[in-house]
Amino acid sequence: MSSYSNGGFFNAAYHDSETLEIDRRSSSKTHHTNPYAREDPAWRGERAETHHSSTGWSSSDDVGRAPWGSRQDESWRGRESIPMGVLSTHQGSPSWQHDHNHSTFQIAPDSQYDRTMSIRLPSSGNMTMRWRGLAMRRMSMFPTAGPDQLAFAEDAIRDEMENEEQKLVEELVALSTRDRIRAIQDLPMSFEEKKHIRNQVLAFKSSKQSHQFTCFADCSENVSLSLRRCGYNINSARQTLELWQGIMKEIGGKFGTSVLSYFLFLKWLLMFNIFSFLVNFGLITIPVLVYDHSPNKPPNVNFRGLEILTGAGYFNYTVMYYGGYSNETLEGLVDYNMQLSYFFTIAVYMVLCGIALIFSMASSFRKNYVLADSSSNSAWQLLCSWNFSITNEKAVTQRMNNLCVQLKESLSEKAQGELLTRSEKLKHFGIYLGSWLLSTSLAVGCGASVYYLCQFEQQEVTDADHWSLTQEAETLLVPFMVSLINLVVPLFYSLFNKFEHYSSQRRQIYALVLRNVLLKVSILGVLCYYWMNVVAEKFSCWESMVGQALYRLVIVDFFFLMLGSFFGEFLSNVIGTRFLPRLGVPEFDVARNVLELIYAQTLAWIGIYFSPLLPTIQILKFFIMFYLKKVSLTQNCQPPRRSGRAAQMQTIFIGLLFFPFFVGALSMVAYTAWRLTPSERCGPFRGLNSTFSVVGVWIDDLEEIPGSDWVVWIYQNVIRSEIFYFLITLIILVFIYIFWQVTKGRKDLIVLLRQQIVNEGKDKSFLLEKLQNLQKANPNKKPKPKNHKKHTKRRSDDQSSGGQSTSNAMVQALLARQRLEDDEERHSAGGLPVPSDISTSSVLMQAMLARQRADKQDEDLCQMPNKHQTSSSALAMAMQARGRAEDHGRDEYYGAEDFSENSFNRSSTLMQSMQARQRAEENAAYDVDDPSSSVSSVMMQVMQARQRAEEQDRIQVPAAPQNPAPSGSSSLIQAMLARQQAQNEYDDGY
Amino acid sequence: MGTTASQLGKDLLSEYQELTFLTKQEILLAHKRFTELLNKDEKDHTARVSMNTILTLPELKSNPFKERICHVFSTSENKDGGLTFEDFLDLLSAFSDSATLEIKSHYAFRIFDFDDDGTLDYGDLEKLVNCLTGETQDTRLTSEEMRQLISNILEESDIDKDGTVNLSEFQHVISRSPDFVSSFKIVL
Repeated sequence: MSSYSNGGFFNAAYHDSETLEIDRRSSSKTHHTNPYAREDPAWRGERAETHHSSTGWSSSDDVGRAPWGSRQDESWRGRESIPMGVLSTHQGSPSWQHDHNHSTFQIAPDSQYDRTMSIRLPSSGNMTMRWRGLAMRRMSMFPTAGPDQLAFAEDAIRDEMENEEQKLVEELVALSTRDRIRAIQDLPMSFEEKKHIRNQVLAFKSSKQSHQFTCFADCSENVSLSLRRCGYNINSARQTLELWQGIMKEIGGKFGTSVLSYFLFLKWLLMFNIFSFLVNFGLITIPVLVYDHSPNKPPNVNFRGLEILTGAGYFNYTVMYYGGYSNETLEGLVDYNMQLSYFFTIAVYMVLCGIALIFSMASSFRKNYVLADSSSNSAWQLLCSWNFSITNEKAVTQRMNNLCVQLKESLSEKAQGELLTRSEKLKHFGIYLGSWLLSTSLAVGCGASVYYLCQFEQQEVTDADHWSLTQEAETLLVPFMVSLINLVVPLFYSLFNKFEHYSSQRRQIYALVLRNVLLKVSILGVLCYYWMNVVAEKFSCWESMVGQALYRLVIVDFFFLMLGSFFGEFLSNVIGTRFLPRLGVPEFDVARNVLELIYAQTLAWIGIYFSPLLPTIQILKFFIMFYLKKVSLTQNCQPPRRSGRAAQMQTIFIGLLFFPFFVGALSMVAYTAWRLTPSERCGPFRGLNSTFSVVGVWIDDLEEIPGSDWVVWIYQNVIRSEIFYFLITLIILVFIYIFWQVTKGRKDLIVLLRQQIVNEGKDKSFLLEKLQNLQKANPNKKPKPKNHKKHTKRRSDDQSSGGQSTSNAMVQALLARQRLEDDEERHSAGGLPVPSDISTSSVLMQAMLARQRADKQDEDLCQMPNKHQTSSSALAMAMQARGRAEDHGRDEYYGAEDFSENSFNRSSTLMQSMQARQRAEENAAYDVDDPSSSVSSVMMQVMQARQRAEEQDRIQVPAAPQNPAPSGSSSLIQAMLARQQAQNEYDDGY
Repeated sequence: MGTTASQLGKDLLSEYQELTFLTKQEILLAHKRFTELLNKDEKDHTARVSMNTILTLPELKSNPFKERICHVFSTSENKDGGLTFEDFLDLLSAFSDSATLEIKSHYAFRIFDFDDDGTLDYGDLEKLVNCLTGETQDTRLTSEEMRQLISNILEESDIDKDGTVNLSEFQHVISRSPDFVSSFKIVL
């Protein structure tokens, strides 16, 4: 695209590329006799076109110069007769169009394209694709310039490009403003070109509007413009507000995406907490503070300082915990029912959190897992993971080294494969088993010890208003132990990991993560059990006690995280650099750190019911953590040695955050709300059987208010009816089953399509090989200039020995031509989806092969009679040559006819005519064998063969469109891409 | 910032916003950075900055593909890789966060296509690997390793088995490597 300027279809460089391609074509085969070269201008023009656009219009010259309206019609009329062209456009479009209206992708070519389609073609995929073609065409420039000889090709291409552009503009005009902007942004071309297109679109639009100018249109235009401006402004404002942008860039520039993902995760969690803080503070705390701002604490409780750590004492009587809220209906300007607001705020918050988690998990899963390659260490994966945002010179060289090591590893892995002996396998299995047993028992043991510790604490702590200082300090024992376990045990797990031999790094990380999750889940499970069964029985205001315990856990966990990052990373840095250089500078362990974050967030979620303001602490914690980790990272750590699959790991982490942790917290809170009796003396739900019964009370109240019958009805018949849930579940199950089946079908389809592509490729390479072998069999041929070919032909009329040279030359010409087509095909396949072109060439190739074979036989047979020098054989030779010449003439005629038709037609007729020729030649050869045969019989046979061919031709041409097989491989690839997308959307659906 | 805004003009700015994936701030920042690279006397927006000057930007300086990036985004007549401001915006747009996978993979393909012939053939892949592993003696792959690696690559991605990776095949590969989008990013 580098030398394409505004409106510059006359750009020199661009022309070079075209001429060169043609040049190369002629340079590699100019010296062969090419029987098809007669159709040069037409053929090239057309070929270039099919190449470009896959829309495959014919007669672009006429169309190109036609005025606006008629041009469309004409081009589309041309299109109608081109099943292949239409097919390819249709097939190709979905994949380039990352749009959702293509989810119902079909392979069966829909050749019933409406002519009016050209006007209202909605898919911008079409144009993107087309423009990609042009862009790639322009890309394929060759470094050396050649003589500018083939003006016709340039004309054709130029016209065609203008056409393309006009079509594109037309399509863009039909779109809405928003879609148009997006479509233009999405065009893979340079700024100048985009600007040009945009100006054209605007000009076209304004010229159209001047006819039908109304006040309304003007107004709507203005409104949409200002809305768009507003959108831009919001966008940029959001970007200005984006937290820690510079730091993120710095981290990403030095440590790469995998480390960056930790910080992004941290930020995401911070946002969660800010949201929950705003909700809780706004809907629960502020009303209480406004209504009654003095905490009703006993006189002997004062702020002593230790409360910041323990959360007990003074804090117990503030709005920090459940106990600080009243159960009254606050009477201000409006009545504010504290019970209801507390219940619904927490419930809605939890539901919103769940929905947000599910959505981000699903989209992340779709993007990173469903689409991703199953092979874990593929070379492309490594090459594509090069991080362009890395700006640090040292980091770049380090990454290069790492990448090199990884590439070598992947190579040796591939080479070795699974060559483990049975004893080695057994050994590995034993080690796995041992470390799993060990780590599981560690987790269980930790859980048990936490439980006993809790029991011990419970004996110490009394249900009193006021605790002594030592009593208060003792409460810190459990959180201290829990955090210590969380700090130390994962280190053991990492140690186990060192002894195990995993075949892939991914498995290793998964095992590590799984063990850590097990540990954290068992500890949290034990704690929850303790709170709900022991604390709830013993304490009069047990919710506040649980809130305090959670507060202490959060705070102590924070200190341990700080210690962990300082001592863990700092110490290992010092050890690695000073004492044991063998260990080296530590890497930032993303998995461990993310799990710590997840654990911390789970505490906050569990605590949301017991201590509504816990998110405040969490916000502070995460905020400080961010800077702490950043400093620790830049001071102590080195970039990770392996570019792990950051995106996939992130998906896993979000999944983990959702599944055991969020779901666990949710069920804990739900259990508390449904089953446990709220404390009698404090909190908003005092005096109720369970928290949830607040809804029943509310509904009872509502029954007395007229006009709210529907709410009551819904409560009675929907919320409380088992039938409703049963039905819902049934329907959902049915949907899941249907989608499951659809997905399965699509998977099968993918396999089929892929197989088809592979088969196509195999056919191609097989034919190619055949041709090359044949070429090797005739190595001594002198190449002849292409334009001399006809003379050679003519000469064969005069001298019978010309047969040999002709056929040889023909072989060469065919080879040359085939090679050319191969080249062309490669270019085109790279450039744009031109299935019709590919199929053309493969069909042509087959035809040529057949012909070549025939020619060879011909040649062999010719040589034999030449030796005998009988007059009759000479005569036969002459006849044969003449027949060939005649055939040739017909070919020419066909070629001319084909030129005005489409590419597919052309190829099939060409093939047919070539088959005919081949048959004719075979016949001729037979005749040579038999010197007594008459002239007329030779002629007859030739004519018969031709006729047969023509008949077949007629049959075949209409049959062709129904045959989807010749669609090109690149269109198939596109189809695969489209399929995948469609499937994703479906996967997303449930 | 205010002076740069007035330099660019409101219409121009909104046009840039419409044609690229960049936000207003990013465009203004890009303009600021770009004008710093320009000489004092050529302040109009068609002025071209030579490749060497562009490559002094810290964001591009240590990128192993820096020359390729310049060549791909340059609209210069004499193929020297010089960039105008609009080319520069184009570059940033393709490497921005909000650019679609389609655009990103398209430009990645062109960056990796060292000989500009529209396909990634053996030579291109070899250069690509060399670019990524660095040119020093100890990191370079041996020719045997290289051959093996490239045959692996082709086996993996060359669906129609023609010995080269074309754009569709490349995009297919890209769509299956989720790390690409977050990696193919340059932020000013």
